[in-house]
Order: sequence, then structure tokens, then C-alpha cells
Amino acid sequence: MPIGSPPSSVRASALGRIEGREGAPARRAAPRSRRGRASRRPRADRLAPYVLMAPAVLIIAGLRLYPLALGVNFSFTGDGDRNGQAVGLDNYAALFDDPLFRQALQNVGLLVLLLPIAVAIPGLLATFIYLRVPGHRIYRSVYFFPAVLSPVIVGAIFNLLLAYDGTANTVLGLVGLGPVDWLGDPDTAMVTVVGVHVWATFGMALVVFLAGFATLDAALVDAARIDGASLPQVVRHVIVPGLSRTIQFVFVTTMIGLLTSMFGLLYVMTSGGPEGSTYLPEYYIWVQQGQMNRPALASAASTVLFGIMLVVGLLQIAVLRRAGRED
Amino acid sequence: MKQRALSAIAVATTLVLAGCGSAADPGSESEGSADKLVVWDWKSGDEAAASYIEQAKDDFAEKHPDVEVEFVAQPFDQYYNLLGTAIQSGEGPDVMMFNGGGQIRDRVDALVPLDDYVADDRDRLAGWEAFGQDGHVYAAPVTLQGHPIYYDKTLYEQAGLDPEAPATTWDEFLADCDTIADETGATCFAQGNKEGYGIQFWLSGLGSGVLTDTEYEDWIAGERDWTSPNVKRIFESWQEAGTSGRFNDGANSTAMFNDMFAVFESGESAHVIGLMSDVGHWKDFAEFLGAENVGVMQAPVVNPESTPSLPYDGGIGYGVAEWTEDPALAADLVRSLTSTDALTAFYDDAGAIAADTTIDTSTAGPAVADLVSWLPSGRPALHVALSSETLELMGRLSQQLLSGSVTVDDALGQLAESDQAG
Repeated sequence: MPIGSPPSSVRASALGRIEGREGAPARRAAPRSRRGRASRRPRADRLAPYVLMAPAVLIIAGLRLYPLALGVNFSFTGDGDRNGQAVGLDNYAALFDDPLFRQALQNVGLLVLLLPIAVAIPGLLATFIYLRVPGHRIYRSVYFFPAVLSPVIVGAIFNLLLAYDGTANTVLGLVGLGPVDWLGDPDTAMVTVVGVHVWATFGMALVVFLAGFATLDAALVDAARIDGASLPQVVRHVIVPGLSRTIQFVFVTTMIGLLTSMFGLLYVMTSGGPEGSTYLPEYYIWVQQGQMNRPALASAASTVLFGIMLVVGLLQIAVLRRAGRED
Repeated sequence: MKQRALSAIAVATTLVLAGCGSAADPGSESEGSADKLVVWDWKSGDEAAASYIEQAKDDFAEKHPDVEVEFVAQPFDQYYNLLGTAIQSGEGPDVMMFNGGGQIRDRVDALVPLDDYVADDRDRLAGWEAFGQDGHVYAAPVTLQGHPIYYDKTLYEQAGLDPEAPATTWDEFLADCDTIADETGATCFAQGNKEGYGIQFWLSGLGSGVLTDTEYEDWIAGERDWTSPNVKRIFESWQEAGTSGRFNDGANSTAMFNDMFAVFESGESAHVIGLMSDVGHWKDFAEFLGAENVGVMQAPVVNPESTPSLPYDGGIGYGVAEWTEDPALAADLVRSLTSTDALTAFYDDAGAIAADTTIDTSTAGPAVADLVSWLPSGRPALHVALSSETLELMGRLSQQLLSGSVTVDDALGQLAESDQAG
């Protein structure tokens, strides 16, 4: 599953970089005090930082920035008969003229709208575990279990459950509700797939929330309870403010997950359908490149997706920095 | 700040590259040389195709004992992505497998015209049209792929109909469907349109009973009149069948491979427009229903001026890459891959209707006997003549027709526009 899976490692390294930077000012101060002696150091010492930096810089420049520039450049050339010719912004015009791509962008918007729900579910369930509802130890492992399944397996399982004559509709039938064409109705399909994605991935966010709860001062919750606060009040006035940093972090990681890890599920569950209602930009790119043999158009779509990710990435960093400063 | 922006760029770049760069295959070793030919396909890894590949290799080794042949089996769902990357870089396999129709026509720039090399095979093999463009042929057919209408003889018997004499006109056909539905509860058609393939099979499977001969020929030749009342009739019948319950429930969320075929195999539907080779065909159905209970019929006549015929094309075939060092040598390998011995092995083991018309198929049951007897009068399938973009659009529109969110006229208008643009 080439397109869906890489982000987990990407996420880890990105976070590593961000966290590393928070501690950087303290360390940066040290070399400055030694600068006076620098000229007396042996040459090898002076070159060492550059040599040590070189692999990372070369990898970023050679394997990331250079291909990116090639891809952007390629998006200004034509497909088919016009292969290799410069066509200016034609691909971008074709892209925004294509109802399928506009649908894909709309769906990105829908994902953003559904984000609060995707964050609230693990948050609430983690709260229940923190408040030690009966059986909370079992729930903790049960909730995490789907996170270890690959999207293809999850998709295949839910294909069976959500088929028109599948288990979900049988259960609905037992309680007298009509069958729902979960994956065949354009109005429900995208929400269904997002729901399955949330089911499959909320375990990770749950663990992050539980880690956040570990830092929460239990005395505050006890005090609120003694003062007669109801559960909603405890959640609203004690837990949410206490976990604001964790919540922001989960928002950021869930957003990345929604935007980058849906391909496998879409591929297995809907193939972009019905009626093109579950297209996302990455699926669109894959179809144009592989099925339609229009690599230049796919490059243009990749460039647009890159722009979106750049904005999202910068916003994330801003949010994380602000969250860091609050402490 | 700059550093942060840079690292944001790096993060985002990685994500994008992870998204779009995945088609690249570390297959640089797969370039052939003068004494080595590399073949890409998605069949040679199948157990069922093992004896076919073996026969072809032996045949080629007799002619060119010094040349090594390497088969690289690629996963089918990534095949054209990988091939696209190879074509973009101008290097890759010497011989490669293609589906007939749009997939090869979109890529003829990367192929060698084979007309001179395969002249001796032209009469022995059928299905060349699907691999041709502008009077040249770019691949030699291995199997034939068609879209016959299969029916379940057991259901016909249970409904009191004559299983050996299926309806020949559309009205009779629908009446039979109603009888079967009343007597057995089975729907008329097994339909799986999740990927939007159902409409392609519908168009090709039933088109020969609706379009006039001239319309049919013009359609294949590229002069398609999307405003013709007969073309409209095909799409109307699709919508009617969907809205009047002649398809199984949830057709738009039923996958064609293999849920739709499973509906037919389990006796829940009386008919299915299937395939001739590989999957969803007589051999698969015979495993569940018994070879003697699988019937095949010509398209029921909607328009008396039409001549029903079996819609088929070259299904898969092998072509020669434009960048190969010695095209004649590679073309010889293509000839070995389409030799009678090799194709006989493919027919025997994989259950494909091979492109070789001289293979004896008399022992495979009544459906195969009918199919083979219809080959001489068969014509190219209507949907194969369409570009992949138009097919993709037709798939989406067909789902909208079933859900009622587009009218037939509107759909045909969009299709005409897409067809003329491509």
C-alpha cells in the first residue's frame, strides 16, 4: 500500500525535528562562547560540522527537494500528443475544470469539518478510562487493537459488514430500520469511509490522550467532585483546560492522518465511487497517473496537494509552537 | 523561522512524494540487452499460466538458443503505473503485456509496429483489432476477451422455461425474467457497478441487439453518434433495469470482481454479462453450477434492424517496446508467446479462450462450444473503442443513472463531449 502507509515514519521524524528545536536555544548558546578559539582549532574540527551535516542535507536536497522541483516542472508540460512540450498552466486549468478534482478538494474540506469528531471520540473514551469506568483495563487494549491492522484488512472487513446484504443492514433490519447502501450512496459513502478510518486509527490518539491524563493533577478532579461538579462539568472545566496541549497535538496528528492515510481504505472500499463522491487528491493523482496515463496532469494535482500540505504543515508548526510556549 | 519553513517544506515534500512517487519501481536490472530479453506481464506468476510460459520459452529457445529470457511478473493493480514510469524514462522491458483497447492505444508511442513481423500469424490468430491503431498492429493477441450473456439453466427449468431456447427479443427476455422472479425469486441480472464496470459490460453485451449494423461499424471506427435514439435506448434500458428491480440490490456498492459473479454463481440471479477468459467466465461458473447448466445467449433483439453478435476483442497480448535493441528478436519472442502449443497450454490450464482459432475446444461444455461457434461472426466490443477517460466518466454516470441523479440525455451529452475531446 504505497501511498497510504509512509506517514507514520514521516510523522515521527517531523515531530522529532520539532521537539529537538524547542530545546535548541539552550544548546546554541554554548558554541558562541567558544567562538574566539575557533581559529586556533585544527582544520578537521572546523570541517566536522559540515561533514556531519552533509548526509542529511544531501538526502533532503537530492531525494526530496530536487524531485519536488522536477515534479513541479513536469506539471507545466503536456500529456499524450503534447508530451514534453511546455503548456504553461494548461494542466492547472484542466484540473480545476475537472469536477472530479473539485470533488476531491471538497472532500478535503469535509475531512476538516469532521476533524473535531475524530478528535472528540478518542478524547471521550480516554476520559472514561481515566475516570475508571468498570472494565477500563480491557477497554484500553480493545480500543488500541484496530490501530495495528493494515487499512487493506480493515477495508476488507468493513466491505463485508457494510455490503448491501451485509451484517450492518441485517442488524438494522432486525430493529425495523430500512437497509442503508453505506458504500453505494454518494451522500453516505464518504462519511462511512471516514468513520471506518476513525475506528481504525483512534487507538493511537487514545494512547496520546492517556499519556496526557498521566500529567493531569488528580487533586483537581477530586476537588471538583467534592465541590459537587457533574461529569460534564468536570470534563468542561477541569479536564479540557488541563489537556489543551494534548488536544492540540491530537488535532494536528489526526489531521495529517486523515489527509495522508486514507488511500488504502478508499482503494479497497469505494475506488473513489460511487459517482466519484469519495475521491481525495491522492486517489485522483493515482488514477490520472496510472489509469489515465496523464502523468503531467497528475504532477499538477500533486503540486496542488503539496501546496495544501504546506499550508497545513506550517499551521501545525505554529499551533505546536504556541502550545509549547504555554508551558 | 526560515529553518522552520524549510523543515515544513521537507515534511510536506515527503508526504507528497510518498503519495506520488510510489509508482517508481527499483527495476533497473530489468533492462534487456542483445542476448537477454526482459518481459513484463501480470500472468507469468500465476500457477495456471506456468505451462504456457514454459511452452513459449521452449519454442523461443529452439529458435534462439543463446538468448536468455526473463519474465518479470508485476502486480496487475500497479501494472500500468509501473509501465508508465518505464515509458517516461524510456527504458524498461523489451516485451510487455497489454490489455486490448484503450490501455494499449494510449501507449502506442512507446511500441514498435509489428505488422511485418507477425504477417504469418494474421490468419491463425483472432482479435488483432484491439491491439491496432491507425492501420498498424502493436501487439499479438494471446487470449480473446468478450462479454457474452450467461444464464443459469437450472433457474430456467425451475421457472418452467425451456433452458435450451432462451428469448431472442428484449420483450420476451424481460417477460422470462418476470417469470423467473415470480417462480424462484432470482433477479434478472447479477449486477456489480461499484467500480463503474457494469455499464461497460451492459453496453457491449446488449449493444449488438440495439444498434444497426452501420451504427455499430461507425461506432467502432470512431464516428460515434451519441444522440442516436438507439444509443439512447441502451442507456435507458440500463436505467430501467436498475429502477425496476432487475438488478440485485445495492448494484452501485457491489464489486464486479467477484461479488457480482458470486451472485450469479449462487443462483440469486438468472443472467450475468460476464467474460470469456481469465475470470468471471464459463469455467468459473461451471465450478458452481455445473458445466451443463451454464448457458450462453446472444443479445436479445431490441431493434429489428440489428444483428446480434458476440462482442469480443483481443483480451491480452504482448507488444515490443520502442527502446529495445533488436526489435526483430523481441518480435520473435512475441511470436513464441502466441504459438499454437503455448496457447493450447494456456487454454487447457487457465480456461481462457485463446486467440488461436485452431485449438480444439470441443470437450469444454456447451457454453464454450457456442462461444467458439460465434467467434467468426463476432464483432469488437463497443466499450473497448472508448478512451479510458470516457470509460471512467461513463462509470460515474452509470452510477448516477441508477441513483437517479442524472438523466439519460444529460449523461449522453457529457459522454459525447468527453468522447470528442479524446
